[in-house]
This record gives sequence, C-alpha cells and structure tokens, in this order.
Amino acid sequence: MSATLTPSASSARSSAVTARHLARATATRQRRSARFKLWAGALCTALVALPVALASLLPLPDPDAQNLAGRRVPPLTDGHLFGTDQLGRDLLSRILHGGQVSLTVGILAVVVSGLIGIAAGSAAGYFGGWIDTVVSRLLEAQMALPLLMMLLLVVALFGPSVTVITCVIAIAQWPEVARLTRSLVLVEREKPYVAAARLLGMRSWSVLGRHVIPNVLRPASLVVLLLLAQAVLLESALSFLGAGPQRPFATWGRIISDGQDYITTSWWLVTLPGLVIALLVVGVNLMGDGLRDRIRTTKTTKPAKGA
Amino acid sequence: MTRTPPSETPSRRTLLRWGAAGGAGLALSPLAACAGPTGAPGPGTLTLGLNRSLVSLDNKLNQFDAAVTVQRAVRQALTAIGPDMRLTRVLADRFEMTAPTTWSVRLRDGIRYSDGRPVTVDDVATAVRLYGEVAGSFILGLFPELPEVEATGERTFLLHTREPVPILDRLMANILITPAKDNRPEELRSGVGTGPYQVAGANSGAGEYTLARVPDYWGGRPPVEQVRVRFVPEESSRVVALRSGELDVIDTITPDSAEQLTGLPGVHLEQTAGVRICQLFYNFRKPRGHPLADARVRRALTYAIDGESLVRDVLTDSAEQARGVVPLSLQGAERTGSYTYDPSRARQLLRSLGADGLRIKIIWESGEFAADASVMEAVAEMLKDVGVRAALQQFEPGGDILKWRQGKGGDWDVIGNGFPGTTGQATTMLQAMYAGTAEDERTGDAFMGYVIPAIARQLSDAATETDPATRDRKLAAAQHAVWDTWPAMWAFVPKTVLARRARVDGVRLLPINSYDLTAVRLEG
Repeated sequence: MSATLTPSASSARSSAVTARHLARATATRQRRSARFKLWAGALCTALVALPVALASLLPLPDPDAQNLAGRRVPPLTDGHLFGTDQLGRDLLSRILHGGQVSLTVGILAVVVSGLIGIAAGSAAGYFGGWIDTVVSRLLEAQMALPLLMMLLLVVALFGPSVTVITCVIAIAQWPEVARLTRSLVLVEREKPYVAAARLLGMRSWSVLGRHVIPNVLRPASLVVLLLLAQAVLLESALSFLGAGPQRPFATWGRIISDGQDYITTSWWLVTLPGLVIALLVVGVNLMGDGLRDRIRTTKTTKPAKGA
Repeated sequence: MTRTPPSETPSRRTLLRWGAAGGAGLALSPLAACAGPTGAPGPGTLTLGLNRSLVSLDNKLNQFDAAVTVQRAVRQALTAIGPDMRLTRVLADRFEMTAPTTWSVRLRDGIRYSDGRPVTVDDVATAVRLYGEVAGSFILGLFPELPEVEATGERTFLLHTREPVPILDRLMANILITPAKDNRPEELRSGVGTGPYQVAGANSGAGEYTLARVPDYWGGRPPVEQVRVRFVPEESSRVVALRSGELDVIDTITPDSAEQLTGLPGVHLEQTAGVRICQLFYNFRKPRGHPLADARVRRALTYAIDGESLVRDVLTDSAEQARGVVPLSLQGAERTGSYTYDPSRARQLLRSLGADGLRIKIIWESGEFAADASVMEAVAEMLKDVGVRAALQQFEPGGDILKWRQGKGGDWDVIGNGFPGTTGQATTMLQAMYAGTAEDERTGDAFMGYVIPAIARQLSDAATETDPATRDRKLAAAQHAVWDTWPAMWAFVPKTVLARRARVDGVRLLPINSYDLTAVRLEG
C-alpha cells in the first residue's frame, strides 16, 4: 500500500524517511558518485596532462640526451626522479615528451573522428533513405573488422608517421560517434521544434545544422571524450607493436616496448610509463562517466523544475 | 507510521552483490592454474625459439645464423663447417682438388632422403644450377663462380670451375641438396632432405615448424624425437618463455638478457667467439657529388662514433670493435685499422669538406643484431653531436628491406647489417661484400652497391690463388684497399650467445652461431 504525501504535509509531520535514509538513497548515491568520478577523473587526468603539456617548460633534461655510463639508473637516483632508460636517458623527460606525441595523436584523432562521426551520423539519422543506408552499412562493415589488424595494415601501407597514425585512429573511431549521433538525431527529428522549423520554410540542411546538431552535440561530445582514452591506448599499442612514429621519437608504447627487455632487472622502465598511461586512461574515463551521469541527472531533474 | 525494515535483513542489492561475488570467484578459480608454467614441451620434444622468422627450410635467399641449425637438420650439403671452423664431409665422403680448376667428389654410399629416394649426382647438379638462377641470392654472392657438375659415375662426379676456387669444398657447405624433381629456382617451402629430421608440420607464414625424427637416418638415430621451431621476435618473451620452460633453447640473445638469465636455476648460457661482422654500412649507390660518395666524408663520420662506449655500455662487452673489414677470427683476415672516436675532428673534417649539416637516413631490420635499436639510437645521438641529423627507419621482420638493400625500395644512406662468416674463410666474406661488379649491380645484387672494379679484381685474383701463402698476401692487400674506401661508419664483431634449459644437453655452439641437432639430447 502506498500513500501520497504533499510537500507541505510531509514537512509538517514526522516521517520515517530520515536524513540518513536520504543520504543512502540511490539518487543521492548516484549524484555523489558522479561528483566523485568527475573530480577524481579530473585529478588523474590533470596529474598526467598538465606535466605533459608543460614538459618543455619544466627543468628536465633533453629526452634524447644520452649518458651511456649512466644506463638503467633506478628512480630517485642522481637527480632522475623516474630513473634512466637503457641508454641513460631521463625516463621522466621521455615519458612527458613522449606523452606530447601520444596525447597530440589522441586529441587530433578524436577531433577528426568526432567531426566525421557527427557529420555522417546526423546526416544518416536526419535524412534517412540512401544516405542512412550507405552510412550504416559503412560503419557496420568497419566495426566488423578487427581494429588493431586494420590499423597495422594501413600503417604498413602508408608508413608510420604521426599524420598517418592520427588519420588511421580517427578513421577507426568514427563509427562509435556516428552510431550514437544517428540514434540521437532520430529522436530529435521527430520533436515539434523540428516540424516547426520545417513549416517556417527552413531548408533541411539548415534545420539539421542550426537546430538538431546543437541539441545532440553535448551527449555526442561525451563519447568523443571517452574515445580519447581509447585513442591514446591505440597509439600506444601501435608504437608497442613497432608501427608507431619512427625512432628516436619517444612514445609511451615504444618506451614500454623497449623497456620490456629489462623487466626483471629494471622494473621502472615498464612500470612507470604503464602507470602513467593507466592514470590518464582511468582519469579520462572517470571524467566522461561523471559528466554523463551529471547530464543524465540534469535531464531528469529539469522537467521537475519546470513543472 | 511506516515501519522501517530492520537493517540486518539482507536487501536485494546485498543478495545480488553476494551472488555476483560468488559467481566471479567460481569463474576466476580456473585462472589459478595459470600460476604454473604452461605450454611446456613434452619430454621428447625440443623447442627452439628463433628471433627471426624462418620463412623456409631452404637457404637460397634466407640464411641468418640461427636458421642454419634448423635448415641443416632437414637438408644437408656435401660438406659442413664443423668445430674450430674445420671442414667436415657430410653427403660426400670424398671431396678432393685434382687440378686447380677441378674437384673430384664421391657421394657417400647408401644415403637416402627421408622419403626413401636415393641421392643422385643429378640432384647435386640441379641444386648448383638452381642456386645460380635465384635473384637476390645471398649464397650466390659467396661464390667467385658456381662450379659445373660433370657426372663420372653413379656416385662420383667432377666439379669444374673456369678459374681456380681453392675453397670450393667449404663453399659447397652452403648448397643444400634436394631431389632434382622437387627443386625450383626459389626458396622451397616444402620438400624432403637427407637430414636427421623431416617436416611433420609447417606454418611458414608464422615461422613455425614441427620436425620429426627420421627413423632410418643414414647417420644414426638422433636422440631427440621431435623438434619444434617457433618464431618469438620479442626478446623479453623469449627470455620469459625459456625461464618458464616453454622454450628449451633461445639464440642470439642480448647482453642484457644474458645478464637476466645468468645464475638462474635450470638455465645455462653458451658463449663462443663469433665470425659475424655487424656494420653500419654506407650506401654505395649515391650519385657522384653526394657527400657520401666521397670517401673522406665517410671517414669523417667514423670519428663521430664512440665505439668503445657502445661496446662497453650498450653491448656490455659482448662484442669487440672491428679492426678489419672482416672478423679477425676468419682465416686470411687482416688487421687493417681501427675506428677512432674524435668528434671535434669529425666536425672539422665535415666542415672542411662542405658536409656540415649533413642529413642521413639509417635503416635496419629488427633483430639484425643484438640490441640493434639501442645501438642505432645511440649512433643517431652521437651523429647529432657533430651536427649530422640522422633519421632512423626500422623495418620489422618480414618487411621489404631486401628491396631497399638492392636499391629498389627507397633511398637510404647507412644500413645496419650483419654478415655471417659461413665458411670460416675471409675470402668468402670479402668476395660476397666487396667483389661486386657492374653486372651484379644491374640486378641490385652488388652488396649495398659496392662496386669498385680494382678491388673486385684484387679479390678475384686472391680467390683464385692456389698457394695459401700467396693467397693470404694478396687478400691482405685487398683488405687494406677496402679499408681505405671507408665502407662502414662503424663495425663490431659480436660474440655468439645462446641460452638453454638444463634438460638440454649436447648443444655444441659453433662460431657460425649454429649447432648440430643430432648431438643434442634431452634429459629427464
């Protein structure tokens, strides 16, 4: 049996729902969790992204400067916070400078894949018909292919350079964005404001560009953010497999790949760059999750506010 | 008033959590088995982990050091290079020079292929002819000329050459004999041989082979029943696989891996002086007017390389700097000079020659020699110190570096290359590397485009000299002439290092970085 309580009635008399219950309620927990994820994610991301961005300004040795007499020096020795690698290069400097390559590739790749995905997905969702068929079949075909193998094949064909790897990762990731955008646009295009815009005589492209896309941009951009972590991981995987930018460019994948030969004698060569990648990926994912939860909460509370 | 449910009653969420935890425990419990070694070979199976992909059990195009062990277990030659670089007879029981240009050979009696067919003189003649028809053959370059075979009996034949080839018996150790009917002018992917093992399974794309013992092998029953060959390119994976018992033998390991494996229970290291030379060889296809076409510029660049530091710190004393154009352990090798580190001299010479600010491209294939990537990165940094910008291009195994070597893939300036001393004789290596002719170069077969007719003539003259003392004198003069052309920016001679499990016995590692599989035994 349930009873409906008006706000005034519930505030006027004592209730079984205590502040403790409210604090343990699912909605409160979700809100708290979203906030925690957002802050923890931002902190983890900032811990990696900020030093990487400021690597050139920090008082660090040149990432390629070798000291063959000081090979594989352990962390916190002789002024090397993360130790040195197999050629006596400062590992922290290599990780931070390598991060610039990995993050640049990742960010460029998600921007390009986001643009392609949003454009193709929104066109497919809004216009339907043959455009939808072409885009849907294309993205299904691409998603059916093993991703890493496809990337390796393209890199083998066109050569491993930052531009090629960026384009390859961008093209590999557009289906995720396109699929989500298409489904969001399918919902939006049936809404009254779209019909109103059409009745007012606006062209289809104009309605899509000026009204529909701005409304789906927020959730779609969240997916793009989540893809950043994947893009960084993909770039690292390619470098690890020897298909990354050519030496002596330091990239996270290559630092780990080179370090694995010394895993039993110099643990830091693999562990520390691995931790940095993990921190960034966890951070970006937590931040994306937090933002998604926050948007979801905002969406559900908005009508209540308006009522 | 609404009653609050007692807090000690498990909620639905709690029950779900317990259920999930229990399910996860059940699902993950089999993973405990992963703690132990997996994929360990059986008691009668020897598993070898090669660092380069063995695309074929034939050697017409492909004969890196470790491949020799496996290739010779299936196919054999008339002779072989044995311990102390001595010549041993294999399929031939007589191999004698009867005249300066004629050798008399007799096939061993009763030798049969693994499928029971007898070995014939026609098989030898076909093999020699087909090695000469392969484009880009590594083996062909070792011969001043290929001999012609003249059958004189069922098991006897003569080998004729136009000019004397005093080491023909050693050179013939590289010609593997296959039934004439099955032989082709290409690397054979399948087929039979006279060796102690036959192919029971092959995946040449992955470089994996299973070899089974030939029950009635002519040389006696080999102790090991089955040999598995695996391609494990990552050094760390090979080291881990050896430690866990998944692999029995790994070859060509880096000094750092040797350091990891030293003293480990159940693992033994074998080391011997090598006869392989690893060079940063210049591209001799540069047009006239290019800085690297000038021997003085090539020499100036050698001063930029701190070879002592590379040997001591990067190669951790597992190699020595070359002091000649071939390893000094080869018979007939001459000490011609040494590499000196003097960066200020390098800068000054480059400036005076108008080559300061030079940009070069260095290429190499992964696994060409131990610690290849570290050596190349160190060299690039040393060149940077003298104002030379070096771009590095690393080829993965199975890539198209062969085309690049032949000048058909793209432009490059320096290549990281290892060259084996397959016969123990300096003349073979010198012939293969420095005796290229314009005719060879038309097909890209001159070693890195090295075509200097005067040196080719000197080497050819030495190679055809039958008197050993005169031959060594002529060879020494030719080596000095080669050194004066500064063919390599830096070179070193690595020691041969192999690691094996303790259960593997009888691995007699030869300087040519191979061993006889018929002598290997498995214990326990």
